[in-house]
Amino acid sequence: MFLAEVVANTPLCGRHYLLRLALPQFPPTAAGQFVQLQCRYPQPQVSMREADWPADRPPRLNQPELADHEAFLRRPLSLADRHDAGDHVELEIIYRVSGTGTAWLAGVQPGDRLSVLGPLGNAFPIRADKPLAALVGGGVGIPPMIYLARALAAVGHAAIAFTGVRSAEFLPGTLISDMPPRSDGTPTFCLGEFARYAVPAAVATDDGSLGFSGLVVQPLERWLDRQRIDPSRLVVYSCGPEKMMQAVAELCRRRDIECLLSLERHMACGMGTCQSCVVKIRSDAEPGWSFKLCCTDGPVFNARDVLW
Amino acid sequence: MKLANPLMTASGTCGYASEYSDFVDLRQLGAFVTKSITPAPRTGNEYPRIIETRAGMLNAIGLANVGLEAFLKDKVPLLRELGLPIFVNVAGVKVEDYVQVAAALEDVDVVRGVELNISCPNVKAGGIQFGTDPAQVGAITGALRKVCRKNILIVKLSPNVTDITTTARAAVEAGADALSLINTFTAMAIDVERRRPVLANATGGLSGPAIRPIAVRMVHQVYTQVARAANVPIIGLGGIQYAQDALEFLLAGASAVAIGTALFVDPRCIVDIRDGIADYLRRHLIARVRDLVGNLQTDA
Ligand SMILES: Cc1cc2nc3c(=O)[nH]c(=O)nc-3n(C[C@H](O)[C@H](O)[C@H](O)COP(=O)(O)OP(=O)(O)OC[C@H]3O[C@@H](n4cnc5c(N)ncnc54)[C@H](O)[C@@H]3O)c2cc1C
Ligand SMILES: Cc1cc2nc3c(=O)[nH]c(=O)nc-3n(C[C@H](O)[C@H](O)[C@H](O)COP(=O)(O)O)c2cc1C
Ligand code: FES
Repeated sequence: MFLAEVVANTPLCGRHYLLRLALPQFPPTAAGQFVQLQCRYPQPQVSMREADWPADRPPRLNQPELADHEAFLRRPLSLADRHDAGDHVELEIIYRVSGTGTAWLAGVQPGDRLSVLGPLGNAFPIRADKPLAALVGGGVGIPPMIYLARALAAVGHAAIAFTGVRSAEFLPGTLISDMPPRSDGTPTFCLGEFARYAVPAAVATDDGSLGFSGLVVQPLERWLDRQRIDPSRLVVYSCGPEKMMQAVAELCRRRDIECLLSLERHMACGMGTCQSCVVKIRSDAEPGWSFKLCCTDGPVFNARDVLW
Repeated sequence: MKLANPLMTASGTCGYASEYSDFVDLRQLGAFVTKSITPAPRTGNEYPRIIETRAGMLNAIGLANVGLEAFLKDKVPLLRELGLPIFVNVAGVKVEDYVQVAAALEDVDVVRGVELNISCPNVKAGGIQFGTDPAQVGAITGALRKVCRKNILIVKLSPNVTDITTTARAAVEAGADALSLINTFTAMAIDVERRRPVLANATGGLSGPAIRPIAVRMVHQVYTQVARAANVPIIGLGGIQYAQDALEFLLAGASAVAIGTALFVDPRCIVDIRDGIADYLRRHLIARVRDLVGNLQTDA
């Protein structure tokens, strides 16, 4: 558990914010990992420690939860990037305002302190034998793909991003002004977050308000059609709405391409103790599957093993 | 039995301890309580298993656990490294299940006690919960009393009853060494858009700060009406998050307290709670936790 200082908390679009957190130190992390962020101020407003009291005010000993904000459990959020400076670590998180906790988070100011539990979860495996990767992100599934783009760039693998959102105003990314996304779904250096790692991106919107009009698997499929590469040298990574990941997994299955998915589950602890975040994963044991924990065994699973 | 400090974990919120090794040093505790163990492994309920509610959460995990055999082989060696007294929470659907697990635990040196989770439906008695019927509480406690010789016998009471002193009394009369209270409240949350229960299991157990005032009341009732006279210690739990919460339980009559759901939010809260209690004792010139137990001031 770490106490982080908010460096910036800036809107990216109508619904998404980029949160930058500075920490004196943070364990090594990898793309695909996440943190459990406390979406309220870390310290109870009533402390039992005498040293913490203001001189004129003894602690009020009753009902401390009334002094807290509403979000009780932590919120799982993926790492969207990481920068190591000499004396501190900066973590980037991109989140969508969708409820109590994230709405509170949208109000935090530079200088505020947040409690970060992590890093949690496994990571996207990087396959030495597969030098080309397609990163397919939908909505808030896009942020972990940015961190993955960095990781792939670092080992010299080529990557192409395919991003899908409902509408232009919900794109958790920065458009490069003279480079609008292509309406035929051909990836270009149109998204700043990916372009900074030399990764071209396609943008698909459900309502056609930006880039390709339709589902993100369509530009992915077109791109696969044009590739002359042996499918065994290619890997597809995906994170986003379950329907989207199912479509991506099915496409990869038909074409015999390895596909790795980052799944989402409601989590209480994120540490593997509460058993709440179960995913059905194929296994040789009876009854042909077993429950795995999204927080510690995942969130990344091989699409081949996931029973939807 | 004497603990180094009055803090314990609540069953099911701390797994088998090793899960927390990266996050907190559990040796700060007075004792460790495991997830419920059943004779055979259980996969548990379908997803979704939890939902957050105001100041708490519902869970319907379904007693997912590794089973007795794997517990003894894989988990006990790790628990031994903790160097704490270990209490194993035991569950089942018939009395023989509890007996089988408790008997096996008699041979495990690090295990110092058995805590009966009697909030499970008893298949033999037509599915009614062991823990809601005083006669059944007495019967299961009595059966386990014969098995537990080395291990102390703790009965964990269900709050889903009209008068918790009746089940508490049944457990004490049948030979329980200690009582822990409370387990979760059976509750339900509905997704109004889909007009369906949120949890796959439809109902789940409510835990967290929302239940604390009820838990404190129940501890106080059981202490004053049953446990004090019988000299049976109470482990108080339900919604403890801060030191002042733990102090409420001690003042209500608990000799020790267990932390559950709050560990998910902040595993290190055990350190703050322990230090907060120590601070309080010093400030009020109270020598030992024991002097605080049940020490409510009454004006009458
Ligand atoms: C491994 C993982 C990585 C994630 N990464 C990101 C990310 O990078 N950016 C981002 O915007 N979102 C991400 N999410 C989803 C994010 O956790 C939820 O949007 C967030 O918890 C919503 O909280 P809230 O209080 O705003 O919503 P509320 O609806 O008020 O939350 C109520 C409860 O439901 C839980 N919950 C609600 N929606 C989700 C969800 N989609 N997934 C899991 N739990 C949920 C909350 O944690 C909370 O306990 C991720 C989820 C997981 C499991
Ligand atoms: C996720 C979860 C799992 C639990 N599993 C068990 C269990 O296996 N056996 C048991 O006796 N109690 C179990 N409990 C109940 C707790 O031990 C405790 O009695 C209850 O949650 C109240 O305390 P709290 O509010 O501090 O969490 C569980 C609670 C939670 C939240
Ligand atoms: S969130 Fe608790 S086990 Fe995964």
